[in-house]
Amino acid sequence: MDRRDLLKRTGAISAGAALTGGAIPALGISAAMAAQEEEFLVWTSFNDEVRGGIIEGLGAAFGEANSVAFAHRGWTTDELSDALPRSVDSDQGPAVAQVNNGEFLAGPMARGGQIISLADYDAEYGWSERYAPSLMARCMLSADGTVFGEGELWGLPAESEIVGFYYNKQKFADNELEVPATLEEFETLLGALREAGEEPLVFGNLDGWQAIHLFGELHGTNTTREFLDGLIYRRGDVDFSDPSILEAANKVNEWNEAGYFVEGFDGITGDESTSLFTTGVGGILMQGSWGAGAVLAELGDNAGFFLMPPAAEDAPALHVGGVGLPFSITANAADPDLAASFIDTMVSERAFAAFIESGSLPIGEIAADSIEEGSVSGDLYTGWNAALAADAVGHYMDWAAPDFYDVLTGALQELLGGQVTAEEFQATLQEFYAASFA
Amino acid sequence: MQRLSPSTGKFSEEPTLAVGSSSSGQRRAGPGWEPYLYLLPGLLIFTLFVVVPIIAALAISLTAWNGISWDTATFVGLENYIQAFEEPRFWTALWHNLILIPYFVILPTILGLAPAALVHQMKLRGAAIFQAGLFLPYIMPGVLIGVVWRWMLNPIFGPVNSVLEDMGFHPPTWLADFTWALPTIGFIGAWAAYGFCYVVLVAGIQKIPADLYDAARLDGANGWQEFTAVTLPGLRREIAVVLTVNLINALRAFDVVKATTDGGPGDSTTVLALFMMNSLDSNRAGYAIAIALFLAVVTLVLSLAVLKLFGDQDD
Repeated sequence: MDRRDLLKRTGAISAGAALTGGAIPALGISAAMAAQEEEFLVWTSFNDEVRGGIIEGLGAAFGEANSVAFAHRGWTTDELSDALPRSVDSDQGPAVAQVNNGEFLAGPMARGGQIISLADYDAEYGWSERYAPSLMARCMLSADGTVFGEGELWGLPAESEIVGFYYNKQKFADNELEVPATLEEFETLLGALREAGEEPLVFGNLDGWQAIHLFGELHGTNTTREFLDGLIYRRGDVDFSDPSILEAANKVNEWNEAGYFVEGFDGITGDESTSLFTTGVGGILMQGSWGAGAVLAELGDNAGFFLMPPAAEDAPALHVGGVGLPFSITANAADPDLAASFIDTMVSERAFAAFIESGSLPIGEIAADSIEEGSVSGDLYTGWNAALAADAVGHYMDWAAPDFYDVLTGALQELLGGQVTAEEFQATLQEFYAASFA
Repeated sequence: MQRLSPSTGKFSEEPTLAVGSSSSGQRRAGPGWEPYLYLLPGLLIFTLFVVVPIIAALAISLTAWNGISWDTATFVGLENYIQAFEEPRFWTALWHNLILIPYFVILPTILGLAPAALVHQMKLRGAAIFQAGLFLPYIMPGVLIGVVWRWMLNPIFGPVNSVLEDMGFHPPTWLADFTWALPTIGFIGAWAAYGFCYVVLVAGIQKIPADLYDAARLDGANGWQEFTAVTLPGLRREIAVVLTVNLINALRAFDVVKATTDGGPGDSTTVLALFMMNSLDSNRAGYAIAIALFLAVVTLVLSLAVLKLFGDQDD
């Protein structure tokens, strides 16, 4: 606690004692103890043992330091998004909660006065100076909550994620293959695995979302930050009629026709594809950073990780990725300053160390002494730091418009199933995108 | 009020209160407010949990409410309904529901009727165990059924395709194939429902008087004639029940679809309830509720039509 916080807390305690007419001292209970009974409630999507343990450990220390009773409730993301607005409306909700980005939840809640802007706290703690601008933009809204991707910070995430490629080192060694430096080398590598009788690229698209990653990764090799941000945040004159969209769709078709995808990819889920790879099927797995734990647990040192290589060695490539659910201060917070202080705790060094230890990526750069060379997590952290340094963390393309997820997953399944041409696929996306904000 | 007559030893009706007179004599007292008092708790519960939510849903369907902040609940009239009717994905989803009807309604009824009639005619031993086994899928949660079948039909490690491949077939990826995905969901629905049909129909057969079967046999009827002349007409009410329940399940299909294909591949298995849920997830609560109400009306109309066609004419 810094001097400013200490003064603030002392002031709050004095004011509380004054309001009770000195009854607390008369009863022999210290003001600090009375304040300790105040509950500081936080709702998150940390409903698993590991991440729940992290926030409860950090929260307990925070509660002790600030003389409040820290309480945490973990939900599934959907349940959290459903319950939060109603609970805030009925004054029953938490002081701090994870609020899904943009129009998923943050925009409507900001406009409804259910969360408060973090602009003043951002100035105080320097969050948006500390972390990559492209990551912070995903947590920003205009002051009136209507424009996504710019303006003020309305939430701060503690974690992040990036999509890349896990590989089986033994299979690479057996076939004298190396991590590719360019997209062309990557395609040669996939062809070589096919020739060797291996399933080249493992992914599962029954539930639809992994094709968004595949398409986004391929599109990331032939686009720019400006275009992709424009598409997501509706900046400038960009849309899905761009040639880069068609080029990426054609590349998906090329890879499909070349037999680079695991047989039956359309009938297994994204999670099942990870299980398949960790049991030894396939040379490469396309999966997000969240898959590192499962890969490490099953394949250990036999696994590595690389990001999608660029079209040419010095060219930029944007990688599908994003931030975890941002922490926001709700209108229920009795003490917003305290809530902001808690949010800062979630991006402290101690929190980062705990996230790294648990296998998830923190929002910021990972210190060199946390990176174990040659391990899958080491590869992942090195890749993450490189992507941050190059400001190359791209987007999930379904963020481009409300309801777009269903359209995009459906159109990609149709493309991969040979039901539509690349041109028809592009037209479907463009038609929906243009109509959604008409 | 009924009173015992000392002369006849029987109960007789006598008016207890005279509320006035007329040229035709004394009028009997009306029921008064007392019966309504007995109905009041039920009426209150019904109003609170049925009438109010329906009115609220109707009201919300006329707004642009995002489901998050009441500030957005502005009145838009019939705009949500118009938008839905102009949306091709809405009609595609409804069409898929209609395609599922033969699978969810007719197929399980036939699959339930056949063993029910056989068990009755052949007087099989251990029929109760058989009955319980058939009923099991019906009491399983739809999501669980979906997850189990997704595993069974997995193209890489699922047992169904493994067996078919061992037999020399080249099966499709059932749940990811644009031609097969919807029929596959239909078969899963039929598998889940036929046990229910069987149990209801067996209970119905047991109520058919044995005299009718004896009479049919005396007239020289064979098994098939017994079935068509006695069993089937005697099951009219039960058939109406299973058709109605299965029809409702076909129209509100959601959990099995969500757990197996989530509407894919493309939108080839999207059904109306899934389309509604996706709209709700996209913060379009007013629109989603308009779809839900439309679905409820369609379900009500079709269910009444089935009851009219197959139900007891005396009802």
